[in-house]
Amino acid sequence: MSFDIVPLEQEHLRDVINLITLHDEDDGESAEYDFQHGLEDHWVGLRNGKAIGITGYRQVPSTDGTGYLSWTYVHPDHTNQRIGRSLLNFVIGESRSSGTKKMFVKVSNYDDGSNVYQYGVKLYESAGFREELTNLDFYDIGEDQVIFGLELDTSFKESVEIKDERPTIRFDGIFNISETEGAYTFSWNVQKNPLFGPRSFTVQDLYTGLRAVHEDGGRIVFLTFPSNLPLIHKPLQEAGFKYVGSLKNYFELGIDEMHFVHRMEE
Amino acid sequence: MIPIRDENPNNETPYVTYALLGLNAVVWIFLQGAGFGTSLESSICEYGFISQDLFGSGGAAVCPPSSTSPTLSLVTSMFMHGGWMHLLGNMLFLWVFGDNVEDSMGHLRFLIFYLIGGIIAALSQGFADPQSGIPMVGASGAIGCVMGGYLMLYPRVKVTIAVFFFILFWTFRVPAYLMLGYWIGVQLLSGLTTSTAGGGVAFWAHFGGFVSGCVLVYFFKDKELLANHKFYGWTDTRSEESIWDDPRNRQ
Repeated sequence: MSFDIVPLEQEHLRDVINLITLHDEDDGESAEYDFQHGLEDHWVGLRNGKAIGITGYRQVPSTDGTGYLSWTYVHPDHTNQRIGRSLLNFVIGESRSSGTKKMFVKVSNYDDGSNVYQYGVKLYESAGFREELTNLDFYDIGEDQVIFGLELDTSFKESVEIKDERPTIRFDGIFNISETEGAYTFSWNVQKNPLFGPRSFTVQDLYTGLRAVHEDGGRIVFLTFPSNLPLIHKPLQEAGFKYVGSLKNYFELGIDEMHFVHRMEE
Repeated sequence: MIPIRDENPNNETPYVTYALLGLNAVVWIFLQGAGFGTSLESSICEYGFISQDLFGSGGAAVCPPSSTSPTLSLVTSMFMHGGWMHLLGNMLFLWVFGDNVEDSMGHLRFLIFYLIGGIIAALSQGFADPQSGIPMVGASGAIGCVMGGYLMLYPRVKVTIAVFFFILFWTFRVPAYLMLGYWIGVQLLSGLTTSTAGGGVAFWAHFGGFVSGCVLVYFFKDKELLANHKFYGWTDTRSEESIWDDPRNRQ
């Protein structure tokens, strides 16, 4: 049975939120909040005027054409009809034609017995996504975040020489990562380079943040940085952070997003 | 033998090197009359460094009394030149080597490094011939300091040099340590074998500036700016991110 794919409008929103909530209540709440920031680059699958699926993507600011696959769900009454595959192929085509060069999708490997994770992975891999890294215990102890990536710009690219940058990075807060139990990250800003004194954040700066997370009851800290910042590595290693992996060409060709983790008990 | 270029790209724009090149050119044109007229001689006497004025002993004075204090002339002398070739030669060396040394320590530190090097260079010549009444001018002592710093920082960098033989010349790519080692060797030998009595090239200023640069760079270099620098040091640089290659540092 065929269905139409149309841009997501305000009139579809209630059905779409309900559709997502049928799968996961937390995701339904998060999607409702997310859609308050705009409906652009999202599409809904309609059959007989009823929403049977949702898909979309979000561009990542400050990157050269990187996007994240957004809420992509099929109504439980309409699964196993290749609707998910059609929606995924549609959104990949749309994002590619609007200039997205690489798309990522974050998934939880939590399995409630319905094999939803395996189905999801199979779908993403059939569309060409490949696993790039796994943040262990990201959502909760035993529930990891797996990030898949898909190159959309497959034209030949000459290797580029990336210049290192040495911005003065200072942490300015900690916050609990949404949809997680006790996973935190630090917010940071870039300040004007001083004439004298260090540009790099220090191991003491990291300890200050880790203490604040500990006092807030956090169990784990995740940090990400671009791969062309040579001054971040030594303090991170000295503070006990471990390297998780990198999302290749995340910021632009040759500049990855490096992921680090620190477990509070360590 | 003169350097033409090096194969050592910058991370940041070398504003101070450009400013020093510009300032030397401006002084040469507007204060020294671009070498024409009486401005050249009067500016050299007024702003040049005269050993006997600082050390208080001496032979015959060449210049009339100057209103610039001997101490201040340690600085002013490094922005004066004796002729077009003197200026262009010095500026070429500063152009080739200054940018990367500035890159290793930042703008303000480089300016201080350059000025201290120039002062030590002038004092070196003064110590070698404290009785001299001949004014010494030129940026070459300060640039010698820059070259000494360059040798300590980037000895492996390939420098293209031109070697002249009358109207013929050849170019070669040589490691910086060979080019700079040869240059300082020539300065030392010339200093030892040339009398300072008649003026000429201030070899001891070159030598003193160079040695001061070799030492000062240890205190002035910024390890953060040199992190991951491809050509820093005598051996291949270990990248900062290679710290994560150790399995103990991985998730």
